[in-house]
Amino acid sequence: MAAPLLEVTDLSVRFDTDDGPVHAVDRLSFTLAPGEVLGIVGESGCGKSVTCMSLVRLLPETAAISGRAVFDGTDLLALSQRRLRQVRGRQISFVFQEPMTSLNPVFKVGRQIGEVLTKHLGLTRGEARERTIELLRLVRIPAPERRLDEYPHQLSGGMRQRVMIAMALACDPKVLIADEPTTALDVTIQASVLDLLRDVRERLGTAIVLITHNLGVVADIADRVLVMYAGRKAEEAPVADLYTAPQHPYTIGLLGAIPRPQDGEDTARRLREIPGRVPSLRELPAMCAFADRCPRADELSRSQVPELRVVRPEHLVACFHPGPE
Amino acid sequence: MTAVDTTVLVSPRARRRMLLRKRFLRRPMAVAGLVVVVVFVLAAVLAPVIAPYSAGATDFNALLSHSSSKHLLGTDELGRDELSRLIWGARASIQAGFFATMLAMVVAVPIGMIAGYYRGWVDTVIARVTDVLLAFPFIILAVGLAAILGPSLTNATIALGVGAVPGLIRIARGEALALREEDFVPAAIANGANDLTIIFRHILPNMASTLIVQATLTIPGAIIGEAVLSFLGLGVQPPTPSWGVMLQDAQSYLSQAPRLAVYPGLAIVLASLAFNVLGDGLRDILDPRTTR
Repeated sequence: MAAPLLEVTDLSVRFDTDDGPVHAVDRLSFTLAPGEVLGIVGESGCGKSVTCMSLVRLLPETAAISGRAVFDGTDLLALSQRRLRQVRGRQISFVFQEPMTSLNPVFKVGRQIGEVLTKHLGLTRGEARERTIELLRLVRIPAPERRLDEYPHQLSGGMRQRVMIAMALACDPKVLIADEPTTALDVTIQASVLDLLRDVRERLGTAIVLITHNLGVVADIADRVLVMYAGRKAEEAPVADLYTAPQHPYTIGLLGAIPRPQDGEDTARRLREIPGRVPSLRELPAMCAFADRCPRADELSRSQVPELRVVRPEHLVACFHPGPE
Repeated sequence: MTAVDTTVLVSPRARRRMLLRKRFLRRPMAVAGLVVVVVFVLAAVLAPVIAPYSAGATDFNALLSHSSSKHLLGTDELGRDELSRLIWGARASIQAGFFATMLAMVVAVPIGMIAGYYRGWVDTVIARVTDVLLAFPFIILAVGLAAILGPSLTNATIALGVGAVPGLIRIARGEALALREEDFVPAAIANGANDLTIIFRHILPNMASTLIVQATLTIPGAIIGEAVLSFLGLGVQPPTPSWGVMLQDAQSYLSQAPRLAVYPGLAIVLASLAFNVLGDGLRDILDPRTTR
């Protein structure tokens, strides 16, 4: 594996709320290689978004972040606000879940993209306009010369998400973090946005962190997958291994919950759900966080936190009883 | 499919403008307000051209005279043409109205936005100071200013502007509080924007329509305020005409020539009413929930 572009070590995020601390992320480590697509999967509230937002400190001030996140030789978590602003949008950029509201309604889309360009790259207005047209073309927006002068409310959801992606790519970042970029879109548009992300990776060599709760999306585009549960890493594996030989019962549960109409003999199969709910993150459990919902849980799972173990090259799992079904 | 055709042919900005114009024209009160406002502003600006006499010109052959072809609205106790003085007086009113509002905006909007954007102790401090200012009558402030700097239109304008600040701070703060929660704020931060960029380039333009409406509603208050201060001798000093000064002068002749009080009184009422209905109309058409 090439030298990692981003190396996160023991990242923990704690929110100090009025009702006490909430441990959103607990000692999470992962790496991202240049040009790699890493999928982060998990249920709502398992810490996927918080993990990524904490990297460039987009979280509210109540968040206490610890650990290291070395990007290109510097620890992002130790950077000053000033330096951090030069990283945000320039080196590491975000695409958010809600394309409908993430664009400022009173500016034309061309100006919003242009602002990033003039700010980070010091382009003149004319140059920024040229580059914006190029970017809109890159994200396959038809008639970019005209769309440039439109307001966000005149664009459809898919179109706006493309604009967001264009804006994120404006300064040719090394890492693109896409936080559920397709959740708010309908299925056909989802497919084309994913297609676009794949294309971006191939043409620009941008590493992508794709946050999603949809394993189908991940299968489509990711190289490696990180499954998170209750702020901890449950399993990490190359995408093919994860689908063919999932080890963690949680991963197996997630895979079982995907509808697969094309399976033929299985068409009448009832979708399996994972019983129970994500545990509250008020206090870190001194046991496997998944134990309460796990068919394999035993005394050991309920008394100790499982450490990550390597079951195959590059395939890690945090479970006392790993293995396929 | 005409709708589609216009989309292609007309730029979005022009289309929005057309829509707003259509909505505006559907509101007769607002249109009337605009007409009256324009008349007053023109009168103030063009006073030297359209006023039949200069403000101080006296005609001793016609003291306290009734309307005539020579003096359309009659004359006052010094034989000064009432119509001309009304027109010249509009200058003081419009000037106080605009400048006091502008002053209040320039001071209040940044403060309110900072309070709303940063929240926390900054917000608490600003909000408490605002409450104190709200409880402080502007007339006392005006008297104080006049006592220190001497009574003049400028000082009255400053007092009026400062008087309008706390209300505007609250409005700007409320808007900023709501807008900072919009998704485009974290999106801008993720793109490397700093606080200043977010406050002034992202949040401020989103509250522009609210501010325009609020300005239109602040102006009439300042116009009345100017009249009050001039009436009390704290604003425009005679013989310079102002509607407040004219009311003050008319007091002594109320039984002989009540029209001298009626005309400037009507002018004050009309001007402030016109700005008010215009502001209401603007608020209605700029409200995104408005559909007609």
